[in-house]
Amino acid sequence: MPSGGLLLQSIILGLLLGGLYALLAAGLTLYFGIMRVVMIAHSAFLILAAYLAWWCNERLGVDPLLSLLVTVPLFFGAGVLLQRMLLSRLRAATLTMMSVLLTFAIALIIEGLLGYAFSGTQRRIQLGYGSASFGLFGARIAVVKLIAFGLAVVALGSLYLLMKRTSFGWALRATIQHPDAARLVGIDTERIAGFGFGLGLATAAVGGTALSLDTTIYPSLHWHWIGPLMAIIVVGGLGSVPGAAAAAMLLGLGQSLLQIPMGTTWAQTVFYVALFATLAFRPQGFFGGRLAQRF
Amino acid sequence: MPSIFRRTHWATALGATFLLTLGACSGGGDGGESADDPITVGISLPLTGDFSEPGKGVQQGYEAWAKIVNDRGGLLGRQVELKILDDQSSADRVVADYEQLIGSDQVDLVVGPFSTRLVVPAGRVASEYGMLFVEPAGAANEVFTQGFKNLFYAAPAVAQDHYNHLATYILALPADQRPKTVAYAAMDDPFAQGTAYGLKAKLEAGGIKTVVDEVYPPNTTDFGSIAAKIAASKADMVVGGSQYQDGVNLIVALQQLRYQPKMAAFSTAPTEPEFAKAIGNKTEGILSPTGYSQDAPYPSNKEFVEKYTAQFGKAPEEDQANAYTTGQVVEAAVTAAGCAEQGECQQKMIDWVHANKVETVVGPLTWDATGKPQGAHMIQQWIGGEIKIVLPDATKEAALLYPKPAW
Repeated sequence: MPSGGLLLQSIILGLLLGGLYALLAAGLTLYFGIMRVVMIAHSAFLILAAYLAWWCNERLGVDPLLSLLVTVPLFFGAGVLLQRMLLSRLRAATLTMMSVLLTFAIALIIEGLLGYAFSGTQRRIQLGYGSASFGLFGARIAVVKLIAFGLAVVALGSLYLLMKRTSFGWALRATIQHPDAARLVGIDTERIAGFGFGLGLATAAVGGTALSLDTTIYPSLHWHWIGPLMAIIVVGGLGSVPGAAAAAMLLGLGQSLLQIPMGTTWAQTVFYVALFATLAFRPQGFFGGRLAQRF
Repeated sequence: MPSIFRRTHWATALGATFLLTLGACSGGGDGGESADDPITVGISLPLTGDFSEPGKGVQQGYEAWAKIVNDRGGLLGRQVELKILDDQSSADRVVADYEQLIGSDQVDLVVGPFSTRLVVPAGRVASEYGMLFVEPAGAANEVFTQGFKNLFYAAPAVAQDHYNHLATYILALPADQRPKTVAYAAMDDPFAQGTAYGLKAKLEAGGIKTVVDEVYPPNTTDFGSIAAKIAASKADMVVGGSQYQDGVNLIVALQQLRYQPKMAAFSTAPTEPEFAKAIGNKTEGILSPTGYSQDAPYPSNKEFVEKYTAQFGKAPEEDQANAYTTGQVVEAAVTAAGCAEQGECQQKMIDWVHANKVETVVGPLTWDATGKPQGAHMIQQWIGGEIKIVLPDATKEAALLYPKPAW
């Protein structure tokens, strides 16, 4: 039986990790909600953002958080272009399947370019406050992990407000719920879908920066992330942002706690076990209803 | 993959034909080798792919060796010429490469590639042709269980023996000062895990308790949970079977949790030049085994560091030194045998290396029948912002700090 201290520490680590998963899964589930696109390249963009943050710190000497000022608008723009120029051209009948192929190719291109530009060497941002931490009831919280979690919370919060309180958010949700009806009431669904895609990719920019603060990055790291993220959005209910966030917190926590008895290698399987269980017993996901009733 | 097999067969057939032709030629008394022909050394290296970075380091080590030997007037009065092929870090390619080098290119000598994964198939080809095969990398146990009689690992010790000096030091401490509990975390990799488990076996036999024994996959980037387990165990000592980045990540994660062991030992990472900066200079007291130190007081090492630095503009690291050591072993064998060509000469060199001690930049080396070196690694420690040799006593630059200061 693990000691209380270790348990508390693992819960804290799990929640901090879950926050990051939640942010990343939110973007991924958004793409699916908007246009039934399975975006394999989401985590490749995540690593790209992490590399840009690393590059800013290493070559320009600025704090990685400042790279957000550039990467968030850049990724938003890239997302809009990606949707308008490539994904919207796929035929509706085969959209989901073809989007897997298309975004798989994009992921490979990003990975290749990262390897070409920065080599396969593992990189880590070297921060003065990298090993700083503070105590909480005997457990310790690393400053960098807390910053990453904070970024995730702020980004998810803004996303939530944007979806619920702005007319763009209403239009986006209408587009997700019923594109035809949305068009009937005068929403330019094509344009909204483009912006929605940009929004999804912007979460990858924030997530990548958060990720780069406390882990090693290398070009092929995105394959390590896409599996768990896909599992999270299925468990959360495809297309549901709150569902993805809840599933992410739960699975992140589960992974962290399972590492105590099972070790690092086997704890990773929690995502896939959850995925199988979801598909077997509740294919629509545990945290959302039918896709049309999300949000 | 039929094309590769076919290519290999062709290469074998071609090589055999060449050998026969050569045999016929020399039988006719019309010897092809003249005294001023260069000695060609065939090497296949992973210059692209997974192992490209260490591969390039090994290449520089070989190039430095060839240059130093040639500046000195060559081997047996003949210049040394390297023939280097790129195996793209692939085990199939490495076999084809050595077939080509030995069979069709008719090199006089071969030396090994980088990494266990490539050394084993390459060693098999060299063994089939009866060639002396000295290799700079391939420290895992499986290299020495293949029954090779021609293979020699040109480094002080295999992974399991890296920490031998430290184990002896710890077990020699008075019982009340010894660390009582140890936490181990090792990458799931034969080399990295081998170093940690070698020490673990010795300490457990000495009665020191293992309280954490974690193995993590090579792609692990988040060490928070592993560090939490180690910190919660309050082990007196932590041992990391690490490569580079995982070691850095684990140390940072431990420091985030304010874990302060009495002794901390990590393989590979602490000896890398960027290590101190990577962990924010909180290096105090970290121990690491090393097969090579630029400051080691072996006679040929001073020459190597000087000339290498002049040639490449920076001091050599372990990969370069291991390649250079490989060259030194081959050089000694060639000089002793008085010949460097395929055929009987190879067996003469193999027998000589089995029976003799070779002085190298990593110290004097001897091997057992399987080609396993019979030494142990030096132990270095970070003291006052510098990494210094602390064990064994014969080569030490400073006394080992125990218990270690806070990091």
